[in-house]
Amino acid sequence: MRIRSFILVIDSYLARKGMVALLNRIHGLRVLKEFGAKEAFLPYLESRSVDYIVIDQHAFQHWSGLFISNPGLLEKTILLEYAHKEDLVQEVSTSDVKASIHLMEDRDSLIAKIRNLLDRQDRDPESPSLHLSPREITIVRLVSMGLTNREIAEKLFLSTHTVMSHRKNINSKLGIKSISGLTIYAIVNNIITIEEVSSLPAK
Amino acid sequence: MITREWPMYRVVLENLQLLPLLPRFNLKPGFGELSVDEVCRSHGVNTDFFLEIANAYLDELYMPGEGLSLFSLGTMVNYISATHSYYKDIALPSVELKLHRLMEHSRLTEKEINLLTTFFNDYKKDFMIHLSQEEEGILPYVLELEKQAAMEKPDPEFILKLQKYSIREFEQEHDRLETSLKHLSELIIKYLPPFDDLQLCHQVLNDLSALMKDLVDHADVEDKVLIPRVAELERSLLNSVSSG
Repeated sequence: MRIRSFILVIDSYLARKGMVALLNRIHGLRVLKEFGAKEAFLPYLESRSVDYIVIDQHAFQHWSGLFISNPGLLEKTILLEYAHKEDLVQEVSTSDVKASIHLMEDRDSLIAKIRNLLDRQDRDPESPSLHLSPREITIVRLVSMGLTNREIAEKLFLSTHTVMSHRKNINSKLGIKSISGLTIYAIVNNIITIEEVSSLPAK
Repeated sequence: MITREWPMYRVVLENLQLLPLLPRFNLKPGFGELSVDEVCRSHGVNTDFFLEIANAYLDELYMPGEGLSLFSLGTMVNYISATHSYYKDIALPSVELKLHRLMEHSRLTEKEINLLTTFFNDYKKDFMIHLSQEEEGILPYVLELEKQAAMEKPDPEFILKLQKYSIREFEQEHDRLETSLKHLSELIIKYLPPFDDLQLCHQVLNDLSALMKDLVDHADVEDKVLIPRVAELERSLLNSVSSG
């Protein structure tokens, strides 16, 4: 899992430090830098790779021009709300941000929201097993048991050609070419047990 | 962040994870009081380049900055080749040796040993193929590109090739070599029976983890630094030819 980087743009000292303490409880992220509401944070964003900006609603309004001209920033924004949304004079729609949290929210709900955000991203490119279809998982299993493409085809009532094209997709999805690599993958992803693995990995 | 004025011994002492980096620049401990800059200069190493690489190595969030446009693609190619040698000659053989020793003194079944051995052999084979593809294909191409871009009249044949091929294609097929190492660690920690030689087992896991991190960093150097710069050079060379 890649470590996600955060910066905070929060004016209230207490809210900012509280946010740091909260984020530090969550595994897999790091707070790189804290800014007050009116400190320019854009130059920092250009020099570092930052995944998320937690910004309070006043700072968000203060910098609304910046968010209008950089729509990509909204994708990284977690809005910290103090007041009700209706109380705000809105130049940028606050619904375009990646996520919103509220100052009065309790600890567990805050952690869950942020954890969710990180998990959702992790799942995308990096956890390939979730992208294997049930059929592909079956094929990985059979390959690990030492079956040849022809044997797999017979067992699943498919043509050898279809099995080969599944194999090709599996290889490119997982980035694993060898049978032994697939076998280890299958074991650590609980697709097969060591006992079930073929005794002599086929070449 | 490391800077040029720091004494080199302190940089290394406080960041021992930089040790595998040193041989790639032909540097050896025994630095005395010399600063980073002094050590680099006396070994013919571009200090800015060393700093960019070392900082990127230490901090996964460090984005190599504008310092990068200061050195030639040739410098980068040399570094990448030296890194490949480190993998081939030091890192992989060392893990392999320890893994074999670990298996010899274990209670693993023949089947489990067979599985691990085949797995590592196949992995090594794929790894070598990956490296030689880069060394024989990509790196010479990058050097040639830099040479052609510096010429007043680039070779028309090269330009023709350039119109059909871009380094971006390489990026798309750039495998991640660290994934299988992670599976191997997980296999040892979770699925195999405990090893009696705890010390050796820890060494294997530490080596695997260091190699994984190294590979991730190395892929970053290639994907985030080398490829964008090469793509930029490809573009400007094609533009200059079409406008000139």
